[in-house]
Amino acid sequence: MTLVQQSNATTGGSGSGNLYDVLELILDRGLVIDAFVRVSLVGIEILKIDVRVVVASVDTYLRFAEACNRLDLESGRKAPTQLTDIVGEMTESGAKGKSKGALSGAVEAFTDTLQGKRDESEEEAGKRPARKSTAGRQTARKREE
Amino acid sequence: MSTYVYAITDATHPVRLDGLRGVGDPPSPLRTVRTGTLTAVVSDAPPGLRAKRRDVMAHQNVLESLMADGATLPMRFGLLGPDDERVADVLDREEQAYRQRLAELDGHVEYHLKAGRDEEDMLRAVLADSEQARELNERTRDGSGTHEDRVALGELVSREVVARGEREAEEIVTRLDGSATRSTVSGVGGNHFLNASFLVPAERTDAFVQAVQAEADRCGNAYDFTLTGPLPPYSFV
Repeated sequence: MTLVQQSNATTGGSGSGNLYDVLELILDRGLVIDAFVRVSLVGIEILKIDVRVVVASVDTYLRFAEACNRLDLESGRKAPTQLTDIVGEMTESGAKGKSKGALSGAVEAFTDTLQGKRDESEEEAGKRPARKSTAGRQTARKREE
Repeated sequence: MSTYVYAITDATHPVRLDGLRGVGDPPSPLRTVRTGTLTAVVSDAPPGLRAKRRDVMAHQNVLESLMADGATLPMRFGLLGPDDERVADVLDREEQAYRQRLAELDGHVEYHLKAGRDEEDMLRAVLADSEQARELNERTRDGSGTHEDRVALGELVSREVVARGEREAEEIVTRLDGSATRSTVSGVGGNHFLNASFLVPAERTDAFVQAVQAEADRCGNAYDFTLTGPLPPYSFV
């Protein structure tokens, strides 16, 4: 369990750290006036659309299948080494999402339970936010805009 | 030059703008557009404004500051009116609707909650509950099995992941609704199965935060809850 509460108004202004979590509220909710225009948000609004699309694609299915295949269902089973590249790529791409400190506690706790069961390729896997899926990576990247 | 609109408040709101900065670089000075019953907080709109970090922060900071002094309707980032007169026209035209919303939101703040579950933990749970998924997983391990087997496994698991997420999200929101005035659930993506906003009475925020904490405790270590607030009621205007 990780619970982060950021109290903004009472501290006289938000820290930059929480902007990420409320970006979609500021950009996508709030009152609009029909006759008025909005500044261009090209490249930002896309993030919420393509996540949906990705969920129901063969690529996603294969990624889920791979993730199931490499699960350590029985202790002592080694993760297939050919997955190292994929894991490495996720580590790199997911790194931006790590600024979201909320993930780190649970990720570390989870990694601990795997100690000693895997080869060294898991070292990197443990460093990535564990739930950075393909879709999550896109979200993280586009939110950098 | 167009007029950037930050928020609308009741005319009785103190609207303390000292020390607040508008969007743009250098920051545009804030001013008000007033009618008999409503006040809009505005500034000049800098040319070429985009959703840059600095400007989004400026927008957010103005709203948080106004929210602390009374009911505030937060505008969506980047809303531009042709000029101050046209803003005043809108305040007159929509007076009844805006005043009603201000009254509804008075004394309330928004909390935003995202929850995710560790993917491996979730996949283990899916496999534990589905014999079919376990069979397909065994068949495709170590690179064996057909492409169709792998797609079938992935499709089955992905469907189950979505279903579980929806079920859990609904359960959590239902329990938290007891501590909130209203709630709204929006689309999930990435590693989140829950993306919800809650409108909470300002004097009952402690109880709400405790309720969220209780949910997080109940779910356990494999889950991440990220609660952000109090926020201007973006999701309830």
